[in-house]
Amino acid sequence: MAWLLLFLCVLLAVTARQAEGFRVARRVRDLRDERAALEARRAELERRIRAGASRQVLVPKVERTLGLHEPADTEFVLFTVPHSGQGTP
Amino acid sequence: MAKPTARIVAIQFGFGVGVLAILLRAAQVQIVQGDRWGREAVRQRTERAVLEARRGALYDRNGIPLAITQEYYHVGVAPIELSDIRRTFVLLVRSLGVPAPALDREFQDRKRWIYLHGPFTAMQVQALRSVKGVYLTGEYQRFYPARDLARPVIGSLAPDRAVGSEGLERSLDSVLTGRPGEAVLLKDRAGRRYDSPARVVRDPIPGNDVLLTLDAELQEIAERGLDEALSAMRAAGGDIVFLDPTTGELLALASRQRQGGRVPRASTFTDPFEPGSTAKLFTAAALLAHDKVKDSDAVTGENGVWQMPVNSAGRTRKISDAHATHGPLTLARAIQVSSNIAMAKFSSSLRPEEQYEMLRDFGFGTPTGGEFPSESRGRLARPDRWQPMYTRASLAMGYEFGVTPVQLAAAYGAIANDGILLSPALVREVRDPHGKVLYRHRPEPVRRVVSSEIAARLREFLRGAVGEGGTGEQAQLVNYSLLGKTGTAVRFEDGHYVQGEYTASFAALFPADHPQLVVIVKIDNPKGSYYGGLTAAPVTRMMLQQALASHRVAIDRARLVARDTAPPLSPERSVAPRERPVVLAWPFTALQPSEYPLPVPPVTGRSVREAARTLHRRGFRVVLRGFGEVVRTSPSAGELARPGTAVTVWAE
Repeated sequence: MAWLLLFLCVLLAVTARQAEGFRVARRVRDLRDERAALEARRAELERRIRAGASRQVLVPKVERTLGLHEPADTEFVLFTVPHSGQGTP
Repeated sequence: MAKPTARIVAIQFGFGVGVLAILLRAAQVQIVQGDRWGREAVRQRTERAVLEARRGALYDRNGIPLAITQEYYHVGVAPIELSDIRRTFVLLVRSLGVPAPALDREFQDRKRWIYLHGPFTAMQVQALRSVKGVYLTGEYQRFYPARDLARPVIGSLAPDRAVGSEGLERSLDSVLTGRPGEAVLLKDRAGRRYDSPARVVRDPIPGNDVLLTLDAELQEIAERGLDEALSAMRAAGGDIVFLDPTTGELLALASRQRQGGRVPRASTFTDPFEPGSTAKLFTAAALLAHDKVKDSDAVTGENGVWQMPVNSAGRTRKISDAHATHGPLTLARAIQVSSNIAMAKFSSSLRPEEQYEMLRDFGFGTPTGGEFPSESRGRLARPDRWQPMYTRASLAMGYEFGVTPVQLAAAYGAIANDGILLSPALVREVRDPHGKVLYRHRPEPVRRVVSSEIAARLREFLRGAVGEGGTGEQAQLVNYSLLGKTGTAVRFEDGHYVQGEYTASFAALFPADHPQLVVIVKIDNPKGSYYGGLTAAPVTRMMLQQALASHRVAIDRARLVARDTAPPLSPERSVAPRERPVVLAWPFTALQPSEYPLPVPPVTGRSVREAARTLHRRGFRVVLRGFGEVVRTSPSAGELARPGTAVTVWAE
């Protein structure tokens, strides 16, 4: 009788372990899918930001709506920032 | 009929034979063929799957993604397995964006299997993963977030497999391709797979990521500048190259052809052209290197037309200049006004080998050795194939040899880099999947082409070419000076010259002192004005203005110096005095003292105060002779002198 109980316990343990393995595998797969979806979303958003911020889109828009234009070199001032110390840029 | 005992014995014998046969068979199956059947059992219950490795990404020099790999999906639907067809139908339409009427037709036709090829992103199919009866097939695909930016250079993959077929995708294929992994999947009796992470035999190793030398912002400026120029000039095509002369890194490469596919060829590497006057500088370099011309040597410009003798039999060749020049022309002046006649005359003192070797040393006629595949070597015939008088003059004018825009940029980079030719580079860094740097580009000197003194003199020639009276004046900025040379050449196509069609070009070094950028602009067959000074030069100015105004373009603005001598401007380009900004260096300091000789700046016509300030900023000492307006200096403008040298200024 004891042998039978021991056999059943071992059987249960093996089954439970296998079931847990499958459960974890499914969870890992779900997380991987979720990560892939988020990465795809990030890439799509980055593409849209990049496209929206590109000169191809932005410059005609601001020229039309705000009356701005690409500056000539006479229209901006570059200030030289002094070096903070010897050898430090 | 046998006796019962005999029958029993026979039956027992039969059983015995049967048992023995079973035992023998069992022994055969278990012992002799055990391994084979064991493998068969594993094969039925498991499946080995190749785990695809993600291909490495391509980024610009600032980490902006240019080519990445993403997982995409194809969707299969088994209508018979769906528990709620209506709900799944709505989900498919909403998530995948497929047209409802078309999908409805598929369902109405009572198909057993509906296949939606897509491909769909992971984001799109996320909601479908848990739907019974919907099956997803994933695969990696290349994605170019910046769409067409630098696509001719980046290239593409083969349509049917993840192998580079063009451009950098091809040449960097071994770097970008990862190592596939392997996994064992468990199957049930119906063949359905179970995920089992414990059975991964080998993890896939993603490919390495590559940081290119390209600057996405500058690339966009170049592409947009080229598009606008081609549209305005109704040109057949063009190329623009930005190169960092101190490192050889290619910062932007734009190519366009009116005829061809949606993605243009990378003609900056593949299409040689005859450079015209932009190549005059290389013959000048040969003349200086072999000491064939002195500063005071001059030839006549023949009022713009000259019949050059090409053999002893009296045969001549007509050479003409676009702008007739009067009076003697020194080498510097010949470059400034781009005189074909003067350059043809000067070149006659060179031996063919001397001229050929100088062009060869500047990298013409041989691939630059960059990472781009199928790079053209250009065209440069050996001297033994020349018609001596004819070819020598042609080469001096920039004809009879072909260069790619990248070769020309590298050659001008050598002039900017004190005479040292660097190999142009497209790859800045290679990183493994964990971010560890495997390779970092270091400048690769090819050879010293000319001495630093000759390089400095060539730069002075370029200063003249974009100064007052130079052919490239239109390229000049107001507050910052550049060096440059225009080029206009009759187009050479299919083995002959096409009269009436030209290639206009401009090569620039920016800024004039310690150049940080080499810019090559080439316009193919512009309509209307076709001179390089009127077409390519203004495009260069416009792009440099945009690059300066953009904080994202990697120009070391701390090293930019406002120009000392703004040339007189045409009315439409001049700026009203009240609008002219002041570029301040704070606190005011003299320029970095240099141990190398510097050209004496031109101060003639200026007040003594202005002249002294300009000379002091360059590190020269000033000795005054008189007051009022400066009439001359010694050493004179353009001559090289070490900082600390006393410059005598005569004023009246």
